[in-house]
Amino acid sequence: MPFGLIRDLAAEDAMPNTQQLIAEGVFRRMTSSIPEISSVAWSSVITGTNPGVHGIFGFTDLAPGTYRLVFPNFNSLKAPPFWEWKRSGRSVILNVPSTFPARPLNGVMVAGFVALDLERATYPPSLVPHLREMDYRVDVDAQTAHKSLPLFLQDLEHTLQARIKAYRYLWEREEWDTFVLVFTGTDRLAHFLWDAYEDPTHTYHTAFVNHLRRIDEVIGEIARRITSNDVLMMLSDHGFGKLEYDVYINFFLRQRGFLKLAKDPPRGPQDIADGALAFALDPGRIYFHLKERFPRGPLSRADREALLDELTAAFEELEIEGRKVVQRVYRREEIYTGPQAERGPDLVLLPHDGFNLRGSLKARKLHGKDVFTGKHTHADAFLLVWGEGARESTPDRPSVSDVVHVMEELRERRRG
Amino acid sequence: MKLHNAQKTCWNCPAIDLAGKVDFRACGQSVEAFERGPDQEGDVYVMAECKRRPELGLFDPMGITFEECPEWVETPFGYMLKDMRVMILGIDGYLGWTLALWLGALGFQVSGVDNYSRRDWVMERGSHTVVPIARMTERLQAAREVLGININFRRMDILDRSRLREFIEEVKPEAIVHYAECPSAPYSMIDADHAIEVQRNNVLGTLGLLFIMRDTVPETSLLKLGTMGEYGTPLTGRPIFEGMFPADAVLRWRGREWSLGGELTPRDPVSFYHVSKVQDTFNVYEACKYWWLRSYDIMQGVIYGVHTEQVAADPRLRTRLDIDEWFGTVVNRFVAQAVVGIPLTIYGAGEQIRGFISLQDAMQCMTRLICSPPEPGEYGVVNQMSGYYSIRELAETVARVGRKEFNLPVKIQRVENPRVEADRHPFEPIFERLPNDFGFEPQVSLEEEIYRMFELLTQPEIKARIEQKKHLIIPRTWWSGMKKQVETLELWEE
Repeated sequence: MPFGLIRDLAAEDAMPNTQQLIAEGVFRRMTSSIPEISSVAWSSVITGTNPGVHGIFGFTDLAPGTYRLVFPNFNSLKAPPFWEWKRSGRSVILNVPSTFPARPLNGVMVAGFVALDLERATYPPSLVPHLREMDYRVDVDAQTAHKSLPLFLQDLEHTLQARIKAYRYLWEREEWDTFVLVFTGTDRLAHFLWDAYEDPTHTYHTAFVNHLRRIDEVIGEIARRITSNDVLMMLSDHGFGKLEYDVYINFFLRQRGFLKLAKDPPRGPQDIADGALAFALDPGRIYFHLKERFPRGPLSRADREALLDELTAAFEELEIEGRKVVQRVYRREEIYTGPQAERGPDLVLLPHDGFNLRGSLKARKLHGKDVFTGKHTHADAFLLVWGEGARESTPDRPSVSDVVHVMEELRERRRG
Repeated sequence: MKLHNAQKTCWNCPAIDLAGKVDFRACGQSVEAFERGPDQEGDVYVMAECKRRPELGLFDPMGITFEECPEWVETPFGYMLKDMRVMILGIDGYLGWTLALWLGALGFQVSGVDNYSRRDWVMERGSHTVVPIARMTERLQAAREVLGININFRRMDILDRSRLREFIEEVKPEAIVHYAECPSAPYSMIDADHAIEVQRNNVLGTLGLLFIMRDTVPETSLLKLGTMGEYGTPLTGRPIFEGMFPADAVLRWRGREWSLGGELTPRDPVSFYHVSKVQDTFNVYEACKYWWLRSYDIMQGVIYGVHTEQVAADPRLRTRLDIDEWFGTVVNRFVAQAVVGIPLTIYGAGEQIRGFISLQDAMQCMTRLICSPPEPGEYGVVNQMSGYYSIRELAETVARVGRKEFNLPVKIQRVENPRVEADRHPFEPIFERLPNDFGFEPQVSLEEEIYRMFELLTQPEIKARIEQKKHLIIPRTWWSGMKKQVETLELWEE
């Protein structure tokens, strides 16, 4: 959720409990990861590191030395999450994205999206029957939203209520030092119904706001349950904004001659042709077709520098209907540091507002628009810290990888 | 040259666990099945896990080809999934037993079930297999001793769904070959009891199996034996396509035109047995549509022959050979008649044309199909035959080989045709998929296999067994319901 939405809904009394926390705590605009997607951002949140350390660069990646598309999960994470740090105590981790499959920890965990089954999402396994009883589900069924928005909203509500039940169950029965609860329904809601949020006359505007109202009630409940010695942190892993255009980066690369395919339509990255120079993975990650990296890559290291310049210039010029698409072209070296950095994309594109970058290889047009009305944004996630020492410990302009460090500092403070 | 299945991917592999569908555009996942496969637009991904290589994590199922995967190894019949588990329903039968040994010799892990119905049906008609076969326990022991093949056998009726389900859950087969049907047109035409028994066994057995597969092994491919007889012989002379009309087929009517591409072609079965196979076709087709099961429906031509390397390895390993009017297929019957000096009986004009395939070539085809599984939801059809002949040509070929190579005085007779069928008709079967998509090349010529049959059937013990049952070769079962021996219309000596 974006900083602005929380600020506005809090001010408008839709989120009174949040409003109170904002008044008493520190409320900051936070930057997300690059790219600004949940698997990357949450991996940064829980490890306090950048992708160059934690190794998660997107929802998809290519297995090293191949064109095989893989979906990194918790096993792919190269840095330990905070609950595996020494002195972290006992944790309850509920619904953190990209933590599937769950592994043993000092505490309890139910992994969030993408979690393929509840059994492997849950530690300890003895919790599974209780979750089933609550009709707990990791995620709403995204397909439902394509079929019927009312059904989707019902599903969203049901998922939220089950999540609340699970949080209460764990809060009341578990001993813990850190309790993490993530609401992921807001993200799905904003993808499908951002337009409803922006337009007060929209049929589903009230439904949108009500969903956040219910979350605010939980926030109030939690705030009442903690003591003055505790710390309460609220955050989002990225912001949200209006989606005006989907922009198909691989189509652009094909148009400009950087990308060639061996088959049309391609099955996937395995059909990238020998002569291709670069290709994109979702959302705007550009990979150079380097000899040292890919079996059929034509480029040597020495070619890389020239291509960086050439592609940067090309993307900076990219316009759709008179509007520049790319706000900034990041080179890997600028944004990723650490042992995994070399595995990252060569360039990452940060789009201007309104533009949603997509990595589909099959696209047959430069831009389009499907059913989604909202897209992630990079610069306006939020962080709210409540508790003694919050002001001193929270940076003015935090990023997602600062969150656990703030938490640790506050914890240290309390340890004296 | 690349092997026929080199470019197939995990999408086709039974070791895949298709775990869920994720739409990263909306950060949403879905448990819904895999209707469209990997999304056309490319942003909705099906996530797969490999049951054999869990270390791969979650990946795109189109990303690894059989050629690249170390679990798929080269064989003469294409890449084969190492130690692939194949369950044969009807493993005691003419085809089932032969396939069990054939696959076992290639390194497949073979399991199977049978309730010995075929033995019972043949016995009920007062006949017997002229090539003597051992009891199942002896067969299994001989397979172990002679060929080093361990077959996991369980005696059961596939209509006993709870037991079948239990066994499938235990074995987790990666392919199921379904031969557990009554394969006889005349048997189904004896009377109401027999027609009902054939349809009950065949139709309900298959239907139950489909539900079990849905619930226990949805990634497993089903290789279901159909028959070329499902199509009949269209008198217009239109080609007999492989199950579905090709993409460029067009229906023209009153100045308008529609594409027929992909639609099931008309079926025109020629007995209540063939009707059971057509009913199976629709049941399997629907199951693939509703539940994303994967199946090949194998429209097998008339099978003949006695030989594979494995069944010939030991007398206890021989597969059965029936020659009676109910279970003897035409070439097998002809050779038996030639051996004991009965004129070969061709029905009516003898100009009926049928597709044929030898036992060994059928085994080759089955192996290739097992090695190249269909996609989720695919109902694929192959016309499994290596050539087509008129019945008269076949009789002449058998007579020629018998006279020339075995010095037998073979005669041919035309008899009344007890069946309701066209005995002169156009016939243009299409049988391109097995050669084009699965690399099938027939290895055995008609003459060669007939020669091998004569070799075996002229052995004294077997010849004696033919003599004992030779009265059961001439048909008495009329499609009209009449029970009387057919009259000879004409006798041709050399």
